[in-house]
Amino acid sequence: MTASPRTADRAIQPNQGANGNGAREKIRIPVSGMTCAACQSRVQRALQQQEGVDDASVNLMMKSATVTYDPSAITPERLVETIRDTGYGAQLASPDQTAFEEQESRDRVQEEEFKELRLKAIVSAIAGVIAMVFAMPLMAGGEHGPRGPVADPFMRWMMDSLTPGLRTIAPWLYAIPSGVISYALLVATLGVMLWAGRHFYTRAWAAFRHHSADMNTLVAIGTGAAFLYSVFATVAPGFFLSRGVAPDVYYEAVIIIIALILTGSSFEARAKKQTSAALRALVNLQPKTARVLRGEEEIDVPVEAVATGETVVVRPGERVPVDGSVVSGHSAVDESMLTGESLPVSKAPGDRVIGGTINRTGAFRLAATTVGADSVLAQIVRLMRDAQGSRAPIQRLADQISGIFVPIVLSIAIATFVAWFVTAETAPAVRAFAAAVAVLIIACPCAMGLAVPTAVMVSTGKGAELGVLIKGGEALQRAGDIRTIVLDKTGTVTEGRPTVTDFFASSGTSLATEEDLLRLVASLETSSEHPLADAIVRYAKDKGVRLSSPDSFQSLTGRGASGVVDGVALAVGNEALMADYAVDVAPLRSITQQLAGDGKTPVYVAANGVLAGVLGVADPIKETSREAIVRLHRMGLEVVMLTGDNRRTADAIARQAGIDRVVAEVMPDGKVSEIRRLQAEGKVVAMVGDGINDAPALAQADVGMAMGTGTDIAAEAADIVLMRGDLGSAAQAIELSRRTMRTMKQNLFWAFIYNVIGIPIAAGALYPTLGLLLSPILASAAMAFSSVSVVTNSLRLRGIRLT
Amino acid sequence: MSGTEWLVVVGGIAAIAWVNWYFLFAERGTGPVGGSPGEKEEG
Repeated sequence: MTASPRTADRAIQPNQGANGNGAREKIRIPVSGMTCAACQSRVQRALQQQEGVDDASVNLMMKSATVTYDPSAITPERLVETIRDTGYGAQLASPDQTAFEEQESRDRVQEEEFKELRLKAIVSAIAGVIAMVFAMPLMAGGEHGPRGPVADPFMRWMMDSLTPGLRTIAPWLYAIPSGVISYALLVATLGVMLWAGRHFYTRAWAAFRHHSADMNTLVAIGTGAAFLYSVFATVAPGFFLSRGVAPDVYYEAVIIIIALILTGSSFEARAKKQTSAALRALVNLQPKTARVLRGEEEIDVPVEAVATGETVVVRPGERVPVDGSVVSGHSAVDESMLTGESLPVSKAPGDRVIGGTINRTGAFRLAATTVGADSVLAQIVRLMRDAQGSRAPIQRLADQISGIFVPIVLSIAIATFVAWFVTAETAPAVRAFAAAVAVLIIACPCAMGLAVPTAVMVSTGKGAELGVLIKGGEALQRAGDIRTIVLDKTGTVTEGRPTVTDFFASSGTSLATEEDLLRLVASLETSSEHPLADAIVRYAKDKGVRLSSPDSFQSLTGRGASGVVDGVALAVGNEALMADYAVDVAPLRSITQQLAGDGKTPVYVAANGVLAGVLGVADPIKETSREAIVRLHRMGLEVVMLTGDNRRTADAIARQAGIDRVVAEVMPDGKVSEIRRLQAEGKVVAMVGDGINDAPALAQADVGMAMGTGTDIAAEAADIVLMRGDLGSAAQAIELSRRTMRTMKQNLFWAFIYNVIGIPIAAGALYPTLGLLLSPILASAAMAFSSVSVVTNSLRLRGIRLT
Repeated sequence: MSGTEWLVVVGGIAAIAWVNWYFLFAERGTGPVGGSPGEKEEG
């Protein structure tokens, strides 16, 4: 079978293989039941070993596998089977699922998983308490006489404390033959193991078959060994008694260990659910229906049924259902959920509105432009989903340790057993057994697996709330290391909407009037897409000048434009362009210097090879730029401004904005080499630009930040998109990244230190000096909450304030 | 040390060797998995 190509938003997308030999397809398969980094490694390895699989990447937090495969060699169904063979759940996502539905379906699965874990934890805990009560008469000695040393000192302490009271309250308990109690406990324990703890054993077995081991292996061996020992003591107590050892059973310990680990898992599942809250909030922005104008009638239709070009009616207080362009009406739209911008943005005919934003004041009609998977919101959701599922380089350390962690723990447990067996003076087998089980139970690879991805998830979600879209874990990590930030001038530091403020015609011009000259210049610039050209055209139109089409036009990158209008040969641009045409600019030198000193860009005009005039174009700096640059400086960053403008103008803008270093008169392709030069100085460089003109420089920088306008999010060659379009967002992105890195390092430290300290204590390292031994039950409690503490630490990122 | 203790020591060493062999070296390409999602293992 050959899977059909589907859209990027759906589960499957076409992808040409790297080697170019035949078509390759990429599929995302939801995987359930993974709990730790070792689970993820196992599924990934199993997929990678399949013939026809080019690449497989499994994400623990997103609970999905992304596989690039050769459809002629392997089918999606076989890939699903491969995952199931490893002991985890998998099923093909519906091809018609949108990014929104996929997220909703993942939420449902997460919710079900959480509820199931919680139910199992509660039932096991109740069973554990009952088992403990029934085990007390056994512990007290029963028919077999006083008991020897107990495998679990915590249980011994509990029972010693509770026995006098229990004897008073329920004396009948002590009349039940110990054999009956043992068999009853055996059945109860088996029930809990098979129902609540079944997944530990099935997954451990599946892992074992694949020469792999994970948290389930440790829990399964620990509880399994305790259970089998107890069964043997129940079935053949004589064997123990004849050797002078009490036939102790540890059923209650097995049940309580399972209950505690399930409790930890359910807390963890709930906390993990919260890490994707931001993504869920974005999905919830999408209205379900739209009011479409069909004929004279306004009809409510499902939002998926809206076609491009259809007229949609939006009333005050409603969410804008689809992306579009306002065709009639005026209003203010709250875009804060997408851009972080708190003030509503006014909208008039011709303005663009984004689906998911809230219409505040007036009613308007819009023509739908992008719908479904191509809408801005769907793109953001997809981008966020991919970012949250991506891995930060720092995770490699955790992955490498997780891969060898379980075999090492098993080795330590065996060594612990041997050491206790050989050295213990009393009941060596019992003590050895207890210590070995405690080692198996306390070791926790899950915390290591969760340390980095949970921080990535919460942080990218937090970023989205602020209008900072971080495109993955790697970008997040690199942004924390930035030391130099390079800012493009136009549209980044300045408004990017230049306006002509001055116009001087040279006295030596052969043209009849100043207006004639303006008409020719503006007519030439109608063919240009440069923002300065746009400013000149607007200026001329405002003056009521009638424009004509140029006879010829040539755009000269980094210089300006030239062409012929009404038989006059024109050159409009900077001093370099005038030099190219050997035009003497000296007559207007004092004027241009004055303009540049005011931070305005002088634009020379030459007509028929003679200097005819100069225009002063101002692009005011954004209100927020100065404050943001102060903040960037405070964060210890070197701020550099790159511009193609002349030095005097650039210096004036830099002075106004508080920028300390300016690189002026840079050609567009020179931006890349300027960034390379900074990188060669050993600096980690971020580039902030508009994402279209600056794409090569954004790609060259260690971190590219694009000033977004809410559109073309996926297309931009940037690592981070700043939806709000002000420099303060760049500072926020760097600050968020630094805080996230700090959280990741804390998480990794605690996950490692927990195991480094916990395992030796469980093995009895403190027994010779302090007489301290760790109960397997306390070990299971510690293990259960180590993961919870890591996830909780990551969740703290949700509450940080980035001003 | 008693015979039983010797037996446990030898058995323990053998078990440790087997565990490490089985999980880390037994199957070509099933060694410790690390690295980025795109990384493939040998074999």
